[in-house]
Amino acid sequence: MKIDFYYNLFKRIAGEKSLLIGLTVIILTSLTGYYSGTHFPGVLSVKTCPEISIWYFLIQGLLNWMVVSIVFFLAAILFSSSKVRLIDIIGTQALARSPYLLAAFTGFPDSLDQLGKYLQWTYMKIGDPITLSTYDLIMAVILIILTLLLTVWLVALMFNALKVSANLKGGRLTGVFIVSLVISIILGLVLNYLLIKNYLP
Amino acid sequence: MKKKLPIQCPSCSNSLKVQSLHCESCDTTISGLFELPVLLQLEPNEQSFILDFVKSSGSLKVMAGKLKLSYPTVRNMLDDLIHKLNQLQNED
Repeated sequence: MKIDFYYNLFKRIAGEKSLLIGLTVIILTSLTGYYSGTHFPGVLSVKTCPEISIWYFLIQGLLNWMVVSIVFFLAAILFSSSKVRLIDIIGTQALARSPYLLAAFTGFPDSLDQLGKYLQWTYMKIGDPITLSTYDLIMAVILIILTLLLTVWLVALMFNALKVSANLKGGRLTGVFIVSLVISIILGLVLNYLLIKNYLP
Repeated sequence: MKKKLPIQCPSCSNSLKVQSLHCESCDTTISGLFELPVLLQLEPNEQSFILDFVKSSGSLKVMAGKLKLSYPTVRNMLDDLIHKLNQLQNED
């Protein structure tokens, strides 16, 4: 029952209510990312980042959500035989991004950053020489696995959000979701690239 | 005990028809072959959804509040019911 709630919470929450909670979650994710040094340079992407303006994190959070919402809304209008409300799509997709609020905390321990610097120095000779402690290695692996699990949860929530808000079922739902997600990922990468170019020196 | 109206043949799963109607007051029995109305061919939970929907003056928002479900979930239930009713009407 509880697992079903976390997996398919849109059976009970959608529309304005989910938009309000979802937007709060997106803003909190951006703020947490700003303080932990974690950014989301794509619809399904979590990475450590250097210090950047807080506006970068806020714009990025809203950008990732809007890209998915617009692509999914257009797909829903095209392929659903039910009446689709924009508020349901944007509301449920905003709330679906909740797992990344937890992912934003993965940057607080320095381990992922240390692993990144270690790999850059070892394989590309970029940056300063660095030794990686066993603690940092284990912690980084745990955080990477956690981030992957949170991404799987995010995708499951996005899928159920589309299912409820567009009343799609079976093969049509799966097909529409996969194609829309791929388009969103590509669009997200392009727009995030432009955003990063604007904010990073 | 409230009896459930059978709508499907337990033997071959085809739709059942009404063969006789009985008046308890004067003990008259009418025999014939009558179709079940489309609404009676729905499952009890679907019939109760329609009753609740009418009692809510056709407001999905009120229905969503009563059932503690989200608006699109209730709208999807209604859409599925409309689809089923259309199918049943086309079969008749």
